[in-house]
Amino acid sequence: MQPSLVQRTAQVDAIVTEAYARIQPAVSVVAVGGYGRRELFPYSDVDLLLLTPGPVQGVAEFLQRLWDSGLRIGHSVHTPAECCEIHEGNLELTISLLDQRYLCGDEAPYAALHQLFPKFVASQRDDIVSHLAAMTRGRHAKHGNTIYHLEPNVKEFPGGLRDIHVMHWLHELGCGNPVPYDDAQAFLFDLRIKLHHFFHRDNNFLTFEAQDQLSDDPAQFMRNYYRHARQIDRAVLRLLELSEPAARSLFGQFRDWRSRLSTPEFTLSRERVLLRHPAQLETDPSIVPRLMIFVARHQVALAPDTEMRLQNAPAMQWSWPALRGLLALPRCSNALHALADLNLLERIIPEWAHIDCLVVRDFYHRYTVDEHTLVTLDALENLAASKDPRRDRFARLFSETDHPEILRLALLLHDIGKGAGQGDHAIRSVEIARAALHRLQVPEQDQATVFFLIEHHLDLSSIMTSRDLSDSSTALRIAAASGTLEQLKLLTLLTYADISAVNPTAMTDWRLEQLWQTYLVGYQELTRELESERIDNLENTPTAAEFLEGFPTRYLKTHTPAQIASHLDLAQRLNAVELVRVKGAYQVTVVSPDRPFLLASISGALASFGMNILKAEAFANRRGQSLDTFVFDDPHRTLELNPGESERLHDVVLEAVLGKLDVEKLMQKRRRPPIHSRIAPHISFNNMLSESSTLVEIVAEDRPALLYDLTNAISSEGANIEVVLIDTEARRALDVFYVTANGGKLSSERMTELKARLFNVCRS
Amino acid sequence: MKKIEAIIQPHKLEEVKEALKAIGIDGMTITEVRGHGRQKGHKEVYRGMEYQVDLLPKVKLELVVTDARFDEVIQTVVSSARSGKIGDGKIFVFDVAEAIRIRNDDRGEGAL
Repeated sequence: MQPSLVQRTAQVDAIVTEAYARIQPAVSVVAVGGYGRRELFPYSDVDLLLLTPGPVQGVAEFLQRLWDSGLRIGHSVHTPAECCEIHEGNLELTISLLDQRYLCGDEAPYAALHQLFPKFVASQRDDIVSHLAAMTRGRHAKHGNTIYHLEPNVKEFPGGLRDIHVMHWLHELGCGNPVPYDDAQAFLFDLRIKLHHFFHRDNNFLTFEAQDQLSDDPAQFMRNYYRHARQIDRAVLRLLELSEPAARSLFGQFRDWRSRLSTPEFTLSRERVLLRHPAQLETDPSIVPRLMIFVARHQVALAPDTEMRLQNAPAMQWSWPALRGLLALPRCSNALHALADLNLLERIIPEWAHIDCLVVRDFYHRYTVDEHTLVTLDALENLAASKDPRRDRFARLFSETDHPEILRLALLLHDIGKGAGQGDHAIRSVEIARAALHRLQVPEQDQATVFFLIEHHLDLSSIMTSRDLSDSSTALRIAAASGTLEQLKLLTLLTYADISAVNPTAMTDWRLEQLWQTYLVGYQELTRELESERIDNLENTPTAAEFLEGFPTRYLKTHTPAQIASHLDLAQRLNAVELVRVKGAYQVTVVSPDRPFLLASISGALASFGMNILKAEAFANRRGQSLDTFVFDDPHRTLELNPGESERLHDVVLEAVLGKLDVEKLMQKRRRPPIHSRIAPHISFNNMLSESSTLVEIVAEDRPALLYDLTNAISSEGANIEVVLIDTEARRALDVFYVTANGGKLSSERMTELKARLFNVCRS
Repeated sequence: MKKIEAIIQPHKLEEVKEALKAIGIDGMTITEVRGHGRQKGHKEVYRGMEYQVDLLPKVKLELVVTDARFDEVIQTVVSSARSGKIGDGKIFVFDVAEAIRIRNDDRGEGAL
């Protein structure tokens, strides 16, 4: 117990008893609420219950005397029977009676209450508990279900004193253990006393002013506050969960039905995951990542028992594959929140401690840095589920990203350098992230992407508010900052999530539009550069220079030195085909002299094997050598199930490259009756973007052999394909071609003809 | 007293604020707004999706100045917000009947 509160209670007891002795109305005087618990804060109301069997004389005079003595009295007058009724309006009284303490006066009414009340509570227990739970959850919801407020109310907000009371009441109602007077409770008691003295009234808001006055280091002080509040918040939610009577509703039955999700390791009870063999935590720590993946995949929560065991389990190291497995799931932020709540995120990424409960005090930020970071992941997740048409375009962008786990990893670390010294926190975050990713053994290429995203995470939001988007220098700046289209997309999504997580209303329509315009400006510039920016004057070995000169600069940005070296190797042969497996798909790389129909032949060869082309890139160097890369998946598992097929595919592609294959004949065998496409094709031509070629952009429903048909149509029109970038997203193919005819841009007649042909291809 | 309401390009905000600060004008209200004037909206095509961009992001700046400083402030806003391109924005001017400081009930120009 807090000694000064007990002392004040005793003083007030003496005043009340003395006032009673002078008037002696025929009532029992009972202390209730905080006063009943002997927790009377300096400026809190003194809550009294006057128990009486009926109307009595002298009550007004008694209260008058107490008022005059300077006490702030809150009183109610009831019969013992009234105290044992349950209805909505009475709940507060019922709960305050859980802390009753007889002070003085007529003993008979109190004796009656003493006899009735325990029976009443016992018979109505479930109802009282449900009411209390509903009230608590309602109060939490009203305050955003978060402890992280910059100016919290230390009594009412989640993690505040009220939650300690709730736990205490639940214990009185037979749920849970007695609430110990621990560090967290002592901290809040002490804080509330100080606040009362600071404001000279019952004000429980820990305002900025109070924070400055009550401590020398407000940031550290608030960190302390959040850590204690978090402990209380978690404890009360856990106890509520255990105390609430099992739901008898239809939803409850549904939840039980969901228990079929159980696996040999985990079982579900009321949407909460339990470990079947808790001892496994000791022997096989790798169960933890599997558990969290289960939590994310099925969108369920950990059972209180599981949480406790996890916290007590021996520290485990997560490998990158384990973390990647979690971050790659479309909905994983619930699992990350859980890890953070249990202080387990710090075990996976010890650097997390830098931002744990870290306050950034400014007008805009609503959350502490760690909470902000987790909310960015929520924002990304909500994007995919959003039905808001204004967010649709960002959602599409997100569905185009190949490695959402890299984006999520960058988000987790983007602010990790905050609170670690002066200067640009983006740069510090990169430094700190470097150590973390090195320890996790994240592949170097992915590391580079994460560092890039962290370093530039403020660039787009700064450009969108301070640069003229219609100025060509802004376009160049965005393109230079992002390097490639893929990185620009990731950076746009990161910025989207980052702004959305500043506070619930930070992502206004205004910002949404500005960010999109910024993305568009960069997108157009990067697409234009595909054709116009060529590699030139390389200070390289003569062979390397000869091979590379004339490729778009994109080539250098999207390939590692090892990949370039392997392309150089291939280039030593006149016609080279290489087939490799990459991350769940296949990739074929072709280096050969450029010729009409080359691209069509290769895509036809792949299609004839039933391969589904996901991505493709093709460009030629100054010597007329073309480098074509296709990434495809194998929906029928032909290559996996038939060991010889890989070699045959290689040979068929080589034949196609050499022009020895009648692709059209091969294709005819595989043609299926046309399915009417559900996505209206979009085909646009642009003669302005490039100095020497025409840009053809095609968006169409993806289908087998689409790329073959498109490239075939372009070549049949006598047009030469200079640069190609093919992507797919869900069921849509997103194709960019730069084409020429007779060494220049397409004439308007040719464009009209080609457009008609391409439309036919997309519609069939 | 005059109230100046200027709708300007977002990227010009910092410049305008700096210019006003340089002539000693610190107090202003800034709102992120969307709208269109003669610039109208335009249709935008991105990967086969058409977006009608009919409300363009702008920034609205509001400030109240004494009659004595009015011309100078307008000159400052105009010259710092101008890029010469379509979409630079507009300024509207209103007469202000009274200004009251809530804290101490100061009235008139003294309350600015």
